[in-house]
Amino acid sequence: MTPLSGAARPEALEGAAKFTVRDLDFYYGDFHALTGMNIDVRENSVTAFIGPSGCGKSTFLRCLNRMNDLIPGTRIDGTITLDGEDIYGPGVDPVDLRRRVGMIFQQPNPFPMSIYDNVAFGPRLHGIKKKEELDQIVEQALMRANLWKEVKDIMERGGLTLSGGQQQRLCIARVLAVQPDVLLMDEPCSAIDPTSVQKVEDLMAELKSSVTIIIVTHNMQQAARVSDETAFFLQERQGEPAELIEFGRTAEIFTSPHDRRTEDYITGRFG
Amino acid sequence: MREGYRNELKAIKAEVVDIGRLVIEMTRDATVSLVEGDVDLAERVIAADDQVDVRVLALEERTLETIATQFPVARDLRLLYSLAHVNIHMERMADLAVNISKATRRTAERTGPRTMYDLIRAQGNLVHRVLEAMLEAFETNDLELAYKLKEMDEPIDHLFKQFFRELSRLQEEDEIEWASSMVLASRYLERIADHAVDIGERLVYMVTGEFEAFDESVTDEGEPPAT
Repeated sequence: MTPLSGAARPEALEGAAKFTVRDLDFYYGDFHALTGMNIDVRENSVTAFIGPSGCGKSTFLRCLNRMNDLIPGTRIDGTITLDGEDIYGPGVDPVDLRRRVGMIFQQPNPFPMSIYDNVAFGPRLHGIKKKEELDQIVEQALMRANLWKEVKDIMERGGLTLSGGQQQRLCIARVLAVQPDVLLMDEPCSAIDPTSVQKVEDLMAELKSSVTIIIVTHNMQQAARVSDETAFFLQERQGEPAELIEFGRTAEIFTSPHDRRTEDYITGRFG
Repeated sequence: MREGYRNELKAIKAEVVDIGRLVIEMTRDATVSLVEGDVDLAERVIAADDQVDVRVLALEERTLETIATQFPVARDLRLLYSLAHVNIHMERMADLAVNISKATRRTAERTGPRTMYDLIRAQGNLVHRVLEAMLEAFETNDLELAYKLKEMDEPIDHLFKQFFRELSRLQEEDEIEWASSMVLASRYLERIADHAVDIGERLVYMVTGEFEAFDESVTDEGEPPAT
């Protein structure tokens, strides 16, 4: 493994790197938002990004499936590889990349259509037309999202009629229907009730055997509970770019972090 | 719900029980080594202690990490908190078994009065019974059995006192030196049983949430601990 210069690196877990980020800097026009990011995201693990508001964790997350491309004037320096392939390289189709690297947002955002059509949306877009095949994909995705039992008899109902927590799991099923390798979750539990939070957290533990998960969360306890590795981001001074301060095994970050700033943040001394 | 966390709680407890089995074995072997003058067996007990130390340390780290990342509350918190204590008791008991084995090193070349061997043997058997009961109670959360531990411990204390009476009858100086090592070993056995009684108290807290002292025990004897 290449040594990481951008962050103190406590004892790392074994396993192949899914994403490898090296010397990444990110700019919104003239504004230098992120600097010197180096991180290996391990395959089939849950990685949590934590840090105070405005520390660049969501910006960094969006670099991983090129969602920032959609904002005019943004650019990156450095490299991000997914399974060894440069995702910003020539010939990479951002739409295909976003199929492989799916995203879940803070606010559940089902399409205004039936539960079935929500889940079938992606596969249809990728050319799957046969009803039998679609039925199978939809059922499987809903089962993986632990929603099947609750919705199997109401598949024609609108996705927006579900509760907030169910809507979030519907969105997860929608992403899973296109067989992603990675799931990026940006504050996925901030807008749902505690019981649903528990379900989404359980789901993450189940899904990580087949999908690599990266979660941005303001809730440190959630990061501690669900993740295998944790990255702490910080923008030290207003106007300066955010940095990755420390990255390592979650258990170690939460018992004996190497960097004083990490310790101050997780013990509630700032942020 | 939270299956990984639940499994980890079970695994941590299972590891404490497993260490407990090793400690029982060490105590039994240490006692046998003493009464039979078997230095090889004593050396094996001393070597096993390294294994206990490594496992106890690893378990402590694992417990701490679970507390830090999973935020246990109520009975889960009592379980982890108690296991951390029990873990320390196990480590001390293993150290005491090592002390007995070291007494074997000092005494193996000589012999002494038969009554002292008989006392150690009897005490060893009683301690073994207490340890087995402690581990069974701990493994199955059997409070009834936990409450019996103090009662089972009493004859062990009496045997220890009897040792002093035997000691006062000795005349020869080298015999006294030999007998002092045996008295110390008897004291270590007695303390191992005290640790087992303390584990019983922890078990009561773990299950009921009530702190309860079973009369006198390791922590309230009013004299410095032997380790």
